[in-house]
Amino acid sequence: MNVNATDNALMAAVGAGEVQKLAVLFERHHRGLFRYFVSMSRNRELSEDLVQDVFFRMLRYRASYDAKQSFTAWMYQIARNASVDQAQKRKGEVIGIEEFTERRADPAAGPEQSAMLTQDLRLLRQALDRLPADKREILVLSRFQGMKYEELAGVLGCEVGTVKVRVYRAMRALEQAYLTISGEKTA
Amino acid sequence: MNCDVARHNLPEYLSESLSEAQELAFASHLATCDACRAETERLGSLWRGLALLPGTFPEPAANVRDRFYESLAAYRHGMESAPTHGFREKLAALWPRQPAWQMAISFALLAMGVGVGYELRPASSEVAQLRGEVSGMRQMVALSLMQQQSAGERLRGVSWAYRAESSDTEVLSALLSAVNNDQSVNVRMAAVESLHAFGASPVARTAIVQSIPKQTTPLVQIALIDLLVDLKVSEGSTELKRLSSDETVDASVRERAKWALGKLLQ
Repeated sequence: MNVNATDNALMAAVGAGEVQKLAVLFERHHRGLFRYFVSMSRNRELSEDLVQDVFFRMLRYRASYDAKQSFTAWMYQIARNASVDQAQKRKGEVIGIEEFTERRADPAAGPEQSAMLTQDLRLLRQALDRLPADKREILVLSRFQGMKYEELAGVLGCEVGTVKVRVYRAMRALEQAYLTISGEKTA
Repeated sequence: MNCDVARHNLPEYLSESLSEAQELAFASHLATCDACRAETERLGSLWRGLALLPGTFPEPAANVRDRFYESLAAYRHGMESAPTHGFREKLAALWPRQPAWQMAISFALLAMGVGVGYELRPASSEVAQLRGEVSGMRQMVALSLMQQQSAGERLRGVSWAYRAESSDTEVLSALLSAVNNDQSVNVRMAAVESLHAFGASPVARTAIVQSIPKQTTPLVQIALIDLLVDLKVSEGSTELKRLSSDETVDASVRERAKWALGKLLQ
């Protein structure tokens, strides 16, 4: 059984009243959701609140979940809605943008290689942060969450073909941002 | 494959979701096109880097997990202590009180009905599912209307029941209950009329026979006797014999019972 099928079955069980099974889904997905919210808002506290909000909404709307639908896609639809509602609630408020100290990416790699890798990844991370929200979002969802383009089409409300075009454009924009930042660093 | 197609396929190439044939075509294009090869290498390197980025993100605070488990426990507690409503009450609660919403539901049902009618020709599972939904909606509307205070609403419920599936035991028992217990003669009469649709059900046939002596209004008794004839309920002949010879029974009812007996024994 693949992971998604299990997720779908779990959420269907939650919908049918076995709400305690949501704990399994929480353990599997709360970090991924947190990274998504942090990538989009760059605010840790806000992201933690949003993670809570998403799981609470899953409980509230559990009966509306259709087991034929990808759980991941459903979850990120809820996540996007939660994000939009939160932004409206905080309209006018200044949300603190945080600089996170990156963790070392790959402790298994040798020290020299690891230092290079960390440096490259820091640039890549900064490049990602500079992208417009829609481009950043599509890359985070497809690359961090490993969502298939079909699932992304469901979450973003567009055709699969459009998703591919948008992924391509986002990658090109990322490359541009990466080159710009590299240029700034070496200049 | 030209460069445009190659660019279109690049995201799928990166995510390794191209078919074997597409991947082969993509690779053959790269072999002949320096620009596309270079772009694939550059974007591919960034793509692989993106996969490593999640490891550089901070972890959510430990209390995120605590808060979640607290909310989940509170929710479960709320579920357990919530009063459990019966099926009927749930259905009745679903039916809106505002006429505008009632109209809207009626129109939605009408639209669904038209949709089903249109789709009926090719018998597909989708149509079967739609039919199931429509039948479920009819049941809900009929049952909830039959719960209403006003006799007019109950009357409408009973006529909705006429459109229910003849195998629907929930609607049948609501109709039989209306025939036997509803205070309004009009509702009882309409319920008798709606029972025509349930002629094939043995439960309905027995219940119709048993209902005749319970009725206090000759009008309803006659309607039930007519129903026995229409549905050819031959099991009702014993009861009809008793009615036709019972001096305490209304004269017109006795006469109708005699007539019905003749019809059923033909």
